[in-house]
Amino acid sequence: MLSPYRVLDLTNERGLLAGQMLADLGADVIQVEPPGGSSARRLGPYYHDEEGPEKSLYWWAYARNKRGITCDLEAADGQALLKRLAENADFVIESEMPGVMASRGLGYQDLAAINPRLVYVSITPFGQDGPKAHYADCDLILVAAGGPLFLAGDPDRAPVRVSVPQAYHHASADAAGAALIAHRERQRSKQGQHVDVSAQQSVAQATMAAVLAKPLGDAETVRSSGGLVFGGLRIRFIWPAKDGHVSITHLFGTAIGPFTRRLMEWIYEEGGCDEATRDKDWLAYAQLLLSGEEPVAEFERVKQVIAAFTSTKTKAELFEAAQQRGLLIVPITTLQEVSESPQLADRGYWRDLKHPEVNDTVRYPGPFVRYSNQPMADGRRAPLIGEHNAEVYGELGLSDGELAELRTKGVL
Amino acid sequence: MPEQGALADVKILDFMWVIAGPTATRVLADYGATVIRVESQTRVETARTLQPFHGGEAGPENSGMYGNYNAGKLGLTLDMGKEEARDVVRDLVRWADVVAESFSPKAMRAWGLDYESLTAIKPDIVMLSTCLFGQTGPLSRIAGFGTMGAALSGFVNLAGFPDRDPIGPFGAYTDFVAPRFTVASILAALDHRDRTGEGVYIDQAQAESSLHFLSPALLDYSVNGRVAARDGNRDPDMAPHAVYPAAGDDSWVAVAARDENEWQRLCATIGRPELVDDPRFASLGDRKKNEDALNEVIAEWTSRRPAAEVEATLQAQGIPAHTVQSGSAVYADRQMQHRGHFVELEHPIHGTTVVEGSRFKLSRTPAAYRGSAPTYGRDNEHVLKEILGYDDERVTELIVAGALE
Repeated sequence: MLSPYRVLDLTNERGLLAGQMLADLGADVIQVEPPGGSSARRLGPYYHDEEGPEKSLYWWAYARNKRGITCDLEAADGQALLKRLAENADFVIESEMPGVMASRGLGYQDLAAINPRLVYVSITPFGQDGPKAHYADCDLILVAAGGPLFLAGDPDRAPVRVSVPQAYHHASADAAGAALIAHRERQRSKQGQHVDVSAQQSVAQATMAAVLAKPLGDAETVRSSGGLVFGGLRIRFIWPAKDGHVSITHLFGTAIGPFTRRLMEWIYEEGGCDEATRDKDWLAYAQLLLSGEEPVAEFERVKQVIAAFTSTKTKAELFEAAQQRGLLIVPITTLQEVSESPQLADRGYWRDLKHPEVNDTVRYPGPFVRYSNQPMADGRRAPLIGEHNAEVYGELGLSDGELAELRTKGVL
Repeated sequence: MPEQGALADVKILDFMWVIAGPTATRVLADYGATVIRVESQTRVETARTLQPFHGGEAGPENSGMYGNYNAGKLGLTLDMGKEEARDVVRDLVRWADVVAESFSPKAMRAWGLDYESLTAIKPDIVMLSTCLFGQTGPLSRIAGFGTMGAALSGFVNLAGFPDRDPIGPFGAYTDFVAPRFTVASILAALDHRDRTGEGVYIDQAQAESSLHFLSPALLDYSVNGRVAARDGNRDPDMAPHAVYPAAGDDSWVAVAARDENEWQRLCATIGRPELVDDPRFASLGDRKKNEDALNEVIAEWTSRRPAAEVEATLQAQGIPAHTVQSGSAVYADRQMQHRGHFVELEHPIHGTTVVEGSRFKLSRTPAAYRGSAPTYGRDNEHVLKEILGYDDERVTELIVAGALE
């Protein structure tokens, strides 16, 4: 889809996904690393737990499909080299703190002076400006600042994050789309621009509009063990199964009430509840509770009935029944179960990439969408440190002698 | 105004609903795309039933969630069960560059609006279908919400404490992840069409997109056989790394030290410089081994101070710290306010409403917000007369046929 375009990806672990999305869409993405390799290579887990820059699974996961070069952006020679690369690039993506690239003479203004068509994307924790722009950060800080952390957890313990860091992926995935918005405009205007992505703002998307409750005059959303609190009612989504947990969309109203009714019918069939419990008005049930016509204690009893029932079934039994009977029940899966998912296998989702250096083939997540007319680009494992120096700098017209000199100087 | 936006030349016919789909087209609308959102009044779209509500009052025109994901779009009400309505849709397909839908796989086919039918009307149309598990495979028939996507993609199991049930991230998590991939995929397809004249059908499984947010953990399983587990707020590469109690009711603050320097500065800042030499906390490995004791020491300091003070004191020393912000705290946050994250828009019923702005800034062609999300039928006349050029008689026929309900 994007094969005519070239991306200079200067990001570290904060922004790698943006360039990878463009690479998957077919762009020629050149990952630029400092000599010695990206800081993202120092993030685990590692291949066979062998710590080292060429074994980082974080790097493997998010530098896939890119070519890799080294260039010391702190050194004048490296800065000059990057400017030459930027002359023919369509996109630059960077994830340094605000002001760092400008201090190297490689900020948006500097590169736009060389290549006015350049779309220059900056991914930062809090955006390029503002009172917190220079805040020290990490994933936990950003999910705290943007809102999703407060909303997740058990009421009697601290709020809790997803154990696999998420914040920068929200920002990076936004950055890929933002880059393509600016690109489309450039196709008309022939002008590039600066795209400024704030991870704090990106993660606010994961609050499901709870950040709007205050200005709209609604109640604060609070954490409720994976459920929702609605008008004082505790709606439960996570339920016990014999061998783990399932997620049940246990809601009422005209759209979802029928699913709840079918669930209660099944529980009745198997002797888990009486007729009166089965036959409650599940479409109007929320209103009945909110008006007080149905006591909250009765709702709590119903939830116990459901939990007692689901505890007697395995996740697979519950999921099977959900498909047969039209229920909104899915298993809460481990990543092993995800990896062995029949659905993903049926769709041929996974991609095996060769890693000749370790004489192994490694399975990766596959295309994020399917295009009917062409497969998504894949097949290239993450680059080794400096793997494509000769190729990329050769394309730039550097001679072997010049390359050797730059190597000696430590620029590459 | 549309001519000024970055995507001023993009026309989208939007059959998306709830969160994942509309979130993506909202981004395109912010940057100037003309988005016509088709919905039926006879089957209330789920987002309109979800909080937050204006004044805390439930009602289909009161939902701030619906408002947030549909601002800047034009609204056309159509009862798709009527052939007359589907005729209007076919005219809109001729107008559109992109048709996007987020029903379960069979709906568009049932209306005769699947990709093949659309290409018969407009050969270079770009069509995107987005649903939880994609258009094929044993689970493709499952209708579902992002809460289910999050459960089936491993996210729910990965949030919580090891000694307790999984809790999951808040809400319909894959609905927050997938739209980013939707936006990029549509724009790449349009670029390809412009260069080649070739339209395309895009099949997005929201679960498949979202798994890219878990790639390192999926690789850890595929090469090391290790199954990632929920671990509270702990991090393998940082300690301290936790959410600590602050003074006040249900008030919390996140604190981390990313390296030894930050750990040493933290000890000094909390008035416990001797901790640097405490053998329990000498190295990252030691602190990981004694993390409960470590967290007690830090909690003792945080719990006597308001979260904002902890944040300011530690950040002044370059140590990662932030108040765990509630929804209202995010709204009041000076950084979010500085960035213009919240946008007030006129609303025909409520006077004004508030939505989130664009999550990123374009320096030369910034986002613009053309108006609040459509109330039912708000733009029917504009769409039918101005965009499709129907005359009064044709519009009246549609009303009489009940096609605009």
